[in-house]
Amino acid sequence: MSIKSTVATWTGKSAYWFLHTFRGGGSSLPGKLALKLDPAILKQLAKNYDVIVITGTNGKTLTTALTVKVLGEQYSDILTNPSGSNMKQGIVTTFLTAPKAHQKPLAVLEVDEANVIMVTKYITPKAFVFTNIFRDQMDRYGEIYTTYKKILDGVALAPEATIIANGDLPLFNSKKLPNPILYYGFDYQTDTDEQAPANTDGLLCPRCQHILHYHSRTYSNMGKYFCPHCGFERPQLTYKLNVLTSMTPTSSDFEINGQAMHLNIGGQYNIYNALAAFAVGRFMDVKPAKIAHALSENDEQVFGRQEIFHVDDKDVTLILVKNPVGLNQVLQMISTDERPFSFAALLNANYADGIDTSWIWDGDFEQLPKLNVPAYISGGERYRDITFRLKVAGVPTDKLTIVPDLTKMTAEIQKLPTKQVYVVATYTAMLQLRKQLASQGIIDGGMA
Amino acid sequence: MTYTLNAAHLYGDLMNTYGDIGNILAMGYYAKAVDATINTELISLDNPFDPAKYDFVLFGGGQDYEQTIVSKDLQTKKAPLTDYIEAGGPFLAICGGFQMLGHYYIGAQGEKIPGIGALDHYTLSQDNNRFIGNITIKNAETGQTYYGFENHNGTTFLGKGERPLGDVIQGHGNNGKDQTEGVIYKNTFGSYFHGPILARNEALAKRILKLALQRKYPDGDFSTLDQLHEDLTKNVVVKP
Repeated sequence: MSIKSTVATWTGKSAYWFLHTFRGGGSSLPGKLALKLDPAILKQLAKNYDVIVITGTNGKTLTTALTVKVLGEQYSDILTNPSGSNMKQGIVTTFLTAPKAHQKPLAVLEVDEANVIMVTKYITPKAFVFTNIFRDQMDRYGEIYTTYKKILDGVALAPEATIIANGDLPLFNSKKLPNPILYYGFDYQTDTDEQAPANTDGLLCPRCQHILHYHSRTYSNMGKYFCPHCGFERPQLTYKLNVLTSMTPTSSDFEINGQAMHLNIGGQYNIYNALAAFAVGRFMDVKPAKIAHALSENDEQVFGRQEIFHVDDKDVTLILVKNPVGLNQVLQMISTDERPFSFAALLNANYADGIDTSWIWDGDFEQLPKLNVPAYISGGERYRDITFRLKVAGVPTDKLTIVPDLTKMTAEIQKLPTKQVYVVATYTAMLQLRKQLASQGIIDGGMA
Repeated sequence: MTYTLNAAHLYGDLMNTYGDIGNILAMGYYAKAVDATINTELISLDNPFDPAKYDFVLFGGGQDYEQTIVSKDLQTKKAPLTDYIEAGGPFLAICGGFQMLGHYYIGAQGEKIPGIGALDHYTLSQDNNRFIGNITIKNAETGQTYYGFENHNGTTFLGKGERPLGDVIQGHGNNGKDQTEGVIYKNTFGSYFHGPILARNEALAKRILKLALQRKYPDGDFSTLDQLHEDLTKNVVVKP
């Protein structure tokens, strides 16, 4: 170890110790300090690790957590970064603060799309996982093609690393790469010939620029795609979901490559995350039955993204939404609930929510009136926009209550006619609601 | 339903960023109030556009890559689209759609990409800058104020015979210089407004809807549309 990196490591570790001891935290500052002293510190810190990099628009966090669980069936030393610490400084902090590893340790890292190159400059990963790339309204400049290019710029520095990619997304089959590639995807339906809804993103055939068709489609532009014009089609899948047994709002049952699986979280998008974790597990020689065991555990720390709280006798599920693809998936998941439920949508447009509310019009709220929901709430700082959206979608005015001031939400939830309540909220609307709930002692303070 | 309007959603599967489809959804909502229904047809690559068939056309904005593909296909529809616009067909073009009705725009790589020149404006690009944020404009003719969200790199300059949709009160507008936003030419409306514009601006939605209805049903009575007002304060629990 050079003197420079020794000093950098020592400084970073000391900063972490200080912050951790006296401030009860400290996620990116130690990394920031260490990087200042030695920009190439990561090379030193990660040199003994086999690294798996997980990147993409949606599902990074859960895929990373599931992958750690799956690999934990077979490997003992696994380092991972906490959700949100997926940029360079956070990753450096993760290595700085790692417990001392004995054998050849693994690192499973969630990495922001634009930061892949920051990692590959210093580390040659064993594998990359590509979850998906959607247009995220938070990426104010990002188009799906430029996001993918950013990832590939990073991957280009590690041409021998295996890519484990979502085979249902056409974009991941659009460029010839030197890397070995393994694809995973859904393969349980009989072939038809359908097209995606008009307002779906990324439907151009990358080879001939005609509109792609689908033999079967899961959601957004994902599925068993093909181009009727030039024959471009979904690649062979190595890891297939071959049976979809059942989906409820809180669980899914399915088979991957013939292995039965139970997952304690609802939503088709989470099955994709499980598929990715299965793929990494198999790639690292974990037996399918062991993977099934790891995924079936009911681990609240892993599945904590959907928060459930109780207002009197009501069971309220609070779900964060930030883009139309995510919203549509949440609506799909809710539609699998056989119990009667009420529905609330809370919209803010602060920086952390995305300041443009246009995306709500790409969300398929038109599904809601079909679900026989007896009561609706619309609210948040942009209550006018979300209220009009729901009305246009066909939500009857007499079933709709408008709650601009979220401090009134608890009282309104109490009045709802169903035990089951779903609340979808943008980021700061969620924070405001949580703050209110915490002040009433309904939930613990702090952000989940 | 007594009245039926046929809408063409131009390249709806390629030019669909930022909820532009909401314009048709909002129009359909107001149409119900006057017993009208809107049938929407997707007109995309290789599909012919028949100007006699449609009562309303929406052309939204897209990503750079999709727009370059669309700009080529659009040339094959140049004549019928120009005919439709010249004949006074109601048309709403947003962002990239607005740009492509003009002479040209500048692509992401700095290349000049031809539009169809049905309208007399042209669009340049800014170096590493976008106009992003809330925008408010006022229409000189009606005195109406419109609200929206702009997010564009292109700077558009109107030609002779083109009026702006509004004068900029807050925000940047067509080019950040001449205080114009959007365009009105005959019954064609262009704008950089997302939001979507018709979902957030009831008066404009009703104006364009009425144009389409009266053009197809000259003897129809659509006066109830003027009395209709979307009351978003109804059912409000407590005002903030």
